[in-house]
Parts: sequence; structure tokens; C-alpha cells
Amino acid sequence: MTTKLSLVAGLLLAAAAAPAWAHHGFAAEFDQTRPLKLKGTVTKWEVTNPHSWIHMDVKGEDGKVASWMVEGGSPNNLYRLGFTKDSLPPGSEIMVDGYQAKDRSNRAVGKSVTFADGKRLFLGLQGPEGDPDKK
Amino acid sequence: MMHRSLASTIALAAATATLLIAQTPAAGQAQSPATKEAASKTAPETKAWTPPLTPDGKPDLQGVWTNNTVTPLERPKGLAGKEFYTEAELKDLQKKERQRLVVTETEGQPPANHSGIEGADADDVHYDFSQFGLDRAQAKLAWNRRTSLIVGPDGTIPPLTPEARKRLADMRAKAKGHEFDGPENLSLGARCIARVNVAPLIPSAYNSNLQIVQGAGYVAIETEMIHDVRIIPTDGRAHLPASIRQWYGDPVGHWEGNTLVIDTTNYTDLNPFKGAQNLHVIERFTRADPDTILYQFTVEDPGMWTKPWSAELPITKIDGQIYEYACHEANYGMADTLRGARLTEAEAANKSAK
Repeated sequence: MTTKLSLVAGLLLAAAAAPAWAHHGFAAEFDQTRPLKLKGTVTKWEVTNPHSWIHMDVKGEDGKVASWMVEGGSPNNLYRLGFTKDSLPPGSEIMVDGYQAKDRSNRAVGKSVTFADGKRLFLGLQGPEGDPDKK
Repeated sequence: MMHRSLASTIALAAATATLLIAQTPAAGQAQSPATKEAASKTAPETKAWTPPLTPDGKPDLQGVWTNNTVTPLERPKGLAGKEFYTEAELKDLQKKERQRLVVTETEGQPPANHSGIEGADADDVHYDFSQFGLDRAQAKLAWNRRTSLIVGPDGTIPPLTPEARKRLADMRAKAKGHEFDGPENLSLGARCIARVNVAPLIPSAYNSNLQIVQGAGYVAIETEMIHDVRIIPTDGRAHLPASIRQWYGDPVGHWEGNTLVIDTTNYTDLNPFKGAQNLHVIERFTRADPDTILYQFTVEDPGMWTKPWSAELPITKIDGQIYEYACHEANYGMADTLRGARLTEAEAANKSAK
């Protein structure tokens, strides 16, 4: 890795089974013993099913910039909640709290993604359309 | 089983429904009292309603729909024998679902523990579902009073036959330790090939959306959670020869009054549907009101389950379109997973060599 990261090794139980929820097993692709925090600038957002990918440049403590890719959720519900492909433009400053890929490449799963001011990225949109109280 | 004539298929479906005290209408009846009763519990209460027709005079099922639900396929153990919630219990369930979402949105995803050991540390690496709009309660939910999608007093998938138990156990034993040897070892879903939610239509964990398009003599169903479109001829043709097997089988449809009935056979034995080898599925789509289709299906495979089983759920209209499932375009997960497995192996080999 070219970027110095704060890799906090927290030994957790080995995953008994990949969660049925995911398109692929998270536990197969990402290493829960390698949590990380990334702060950087968005360069591209691939808005694709079944998983979207945020591309970002992260400056390390040595001043070198490394490109990272962060996996996020599928686009459909974000669209229905009011999010568009322009909602995360290149140049956005974001912070990612996630886990690194098991292959130790510059890829991670974005457990949570926040703007530099601390606002959570995809929240604060309009309410779910299925809420019976809102009918 | 694969070549049963349509008439005997329907007869068997009706017998199955009776056996399971299912509320599937008998063959030839458009809206039997049983269907009306099922619709009133599974779908919202409706007065007599005539569905709009397509230009060729068939009931119009077209539109963008969701089968997103909180109802599990199989009935939870604590609810054995209880097939329906009361209206009050349903309201309570809806309230709890909204409260759960508020908590998740404000406090983040509760850590998941799949170890089976109560009180164990979280063992699941994933992102906050609510943040990415993936919490099921952030999308429209098709509510109904059922305690399980599977109908009848048991509400569970019947026991496996002894040969199916042995076959599945052998498969598991053979796969153990080779889960990440190569791409073919990964699931059909991870390989962007096929998923379990398409035929029959079973809600998936997210993206439980579908679009129905009709033309003269055809109905097409596209599910968002994988890229396939099922094209169902309704012109009375026979099934494909038994030698031709397809990922989602060979669907042949016909109309019974206001109900679209789809009979599907010729599934490949590589089918992702719970490991069944000779799957036969009968589905019924009945428009219950402008915003609801009552969806019912019966599944059988005598080599797999000791008896057929049936389920039903409402499909609810949603706004907008479904989103492209460009799975391969962004399937970085496959390469990441395999590289990660090779690295883990190399590290283990290094360690044992020292």
C-alpha cells in the first residue's frame, strides 16, 4: 500500500456464513480484520446494479495520492429516494469508514460514507414512499 | 412430471391447493370465493373491481411493481398454526418497521452476528443498509396480513425426500474447502448468471422490483434483481422438448378469466431454486385493484420435496422505472474475492513453510 492508513486490527469471529443479503458474500471479498478510514476527493461514481462504486483520490501522510474504489449499495432505491447521478459529483470531499478488500488492493466496502462536514452522504432525503402515515 | 398435460397440471394444482388448504381457485374459475377471500387478506380490501383490458382484450397487468415485503417465506416458529395477523397486529408490525428504520438511520446499522452464538461479536462486514437506501423499509412495501408467504397450517417448505437430503449433503461435502477455487465455485448470483427471485417471483433482499409488459399472445416479466426477461407465450403452445433446459425453465401461459396462469417446466438441474432438479411451478397473477396484483404459486418436485407447496403475496404498483442490472460491468467482487483467496492461501503456505 502506498498510502499509510490507520488499520485497526480488531480480531472478530470468523464469518460463519456469508450473509444471504449480498449479491456476493461481503465476508469473501472484504476483510473484517482490516477496518479503515479514508478521506479524499471523489473522482467518479459508477452507478451500477447490484453495487455502486465510488472512485476517490486519497492523500496519504507522505503527501502521495492513491486512487481507491469503495463499494456502495445499488442505485434503485437511492433514485426513488431522490438521489441522482449528479448528487455525488467529482470533487466532492468525503470520508469513508469501511473495510479493505481481502486482496489488499486499494478497494474497500464503504460501511458509512460522510461528507467532509460530517453530514451522512445518502441520508436526509425524502421519506420512503411506502410509509402509510405519509399517504 | 415434466410432460404432464396442461389439464392434469391444473388438476394437480387444484388438488395441491386443497391438500394444503391453500386458497388457490379451482381451474376455470376466474375469481372464486376462495380467491376473493385470499385477496382480502393478502391484498388490500377491495370491492368488486374490473381490471382494464389490453388492446387485444386481456386483463392489463402492465406496469412497474414491487413485491418488497417483511413477510418471510416460511412461518417463524413462534407463529406455528397462525396463518394471518389481525388488522391490529398488522398495524403494530408496520409501526415497528418504521421505528426500526428511524433507529437505523440515526444510529447506524446494528452489528450483525451470523455465528449462531448468542451474544457473540459482530461477524459481518457490510455497509449501513439505510445509508445506501437499501433498507427494505426505505422502499415501498407490499403489506399483507400473512405470517408467511407459504400458505396453509404449516407455512413451511415440506421436508426433503431422503434422496434429496443425501444429494444436497453430498454436494455440500464436495464443495467444502473449494468455495473460492475458481469462478465456477462461486454462486450463480455472484457470477451474474441467475438468481432465486425470478421464477417463481420471490422478494429479494433489495431491488424487489419488476416490470410487466404485454403484447398480443405474450406477457413479459423483467425482474430488476438480475437482467433476465421472462417471455411467456399465452397462445396455447406446448412446452419445449424435455431435452431443452433453461435457467428459468420454459414458461407457458394462459388466461383463466381475469387470471394469468403460467406453467413452467424444463428448468436446468443447475437451477438456483433451492437445489431442485425437476422443478415444476404454476403461478397465478390476478389484478385485485388498481395498485395490486395477487400473486400465487405452487412448486413441486417429487424428487426434492415430500409434497408440493404453495405461497402467495401481493405485488404492489410503484412509480418510475426499474433500473438496469449491469451486474458484469461492476462485478469487481468476483476478481477481488478470487485474488483475496489466492493471497490467503499463499500466506498460509508461507507460514507453514517457516
